Amino acid sequence: MSVSLVSVMFVAAGLIALGAFIAAWKRQLTAALTGLPVMFAGAGIAFAGVARFSAAVSGPPLIGQEMAVLLAIVALAAVALGVGLAGRESSR
Amino acid sequence: MDSLHAIGFYVSAALAAIGGLGLAFVRHHERRGLALGLLGLGLAGAYASLSAGFAALIALLCYAGCALLIARPDYRTVEQAVSTVWRQLGAVAAAVLFAALAYAAYRGDFVHATFYGGVFGSNSLARLMFAHDALATEAVAGFVLVALIGAAFAWRRERPRDHTEGRP
Repeated sequence: MSVSLVSVMFVAAGLIALGAFIAAWKRQLTAALTGLPVMFAGAGIAFAGVARFSAAVSGPPLIGQEMAVLLAIVALAAVALGVGLAGRESSR
Repeated sequence: MDSLHAIGFYVSAALAAIGGLGLAFVRHHERRGLALGLLGLGLAGAYASLSAGFAALIALLCYAGCALLIARPDYRTVEQAVSTVWRQLGAVAAAVLFAALAYAAYRGDFVHATFYGGVFGSNSLARLMFAHDALATEAVAGFVLVALIGAAFAWRRERPRDHTEGRP
């Protein structure tokens, strides 16, 4: 059993599509917002997979891991902002 | 990559998929928070098996924060005014997106390179984030700051009138 970049990309594609499905399917705003971290998780796995299996020899090899870190932080900030905005709208 | 890492990657990917499916189909927000935590756990495991230990740690912390935000007791939400037809079209578009991405991954001719980084890689990542790509890191830090300030303003509640009325 082994892992290649193709299998990593399959997992990433599944998570990105699942996040898009959640964002489109859910009626409640906060529930639809949870699709965003799922899509970011898929993108982060793709970046980390590229850094692990196909990093460019000339450039910095860990730039995919850096993108994965930044995506996780952006996901947290987006959820915090969305939950706060939804709470404000519902209190009116 | 040896078999142990491969098993770890597939198990973690399955955990992340179960968490994502839970987010899609579970009704109560506490369970959605649990599903988001499960997704973060699977994501961290996948990162760790891809030799991205530092990214795994950060992802675990950030997704735990997301899960706590979703599962908090004073959860409020807004009902969107989107018709069923548009929701079904969105679901079909998500399926088409998956098919396109999976086809691109299957047909792609990827370069294979030998990985020579460490398991955790925090030193190299710190050098990359704060020296080579400092502008991108500062941009994300600015976005996080703006988002947290916006969230703090949005969370502010008006003071109930009976607290202010009746005072001299």
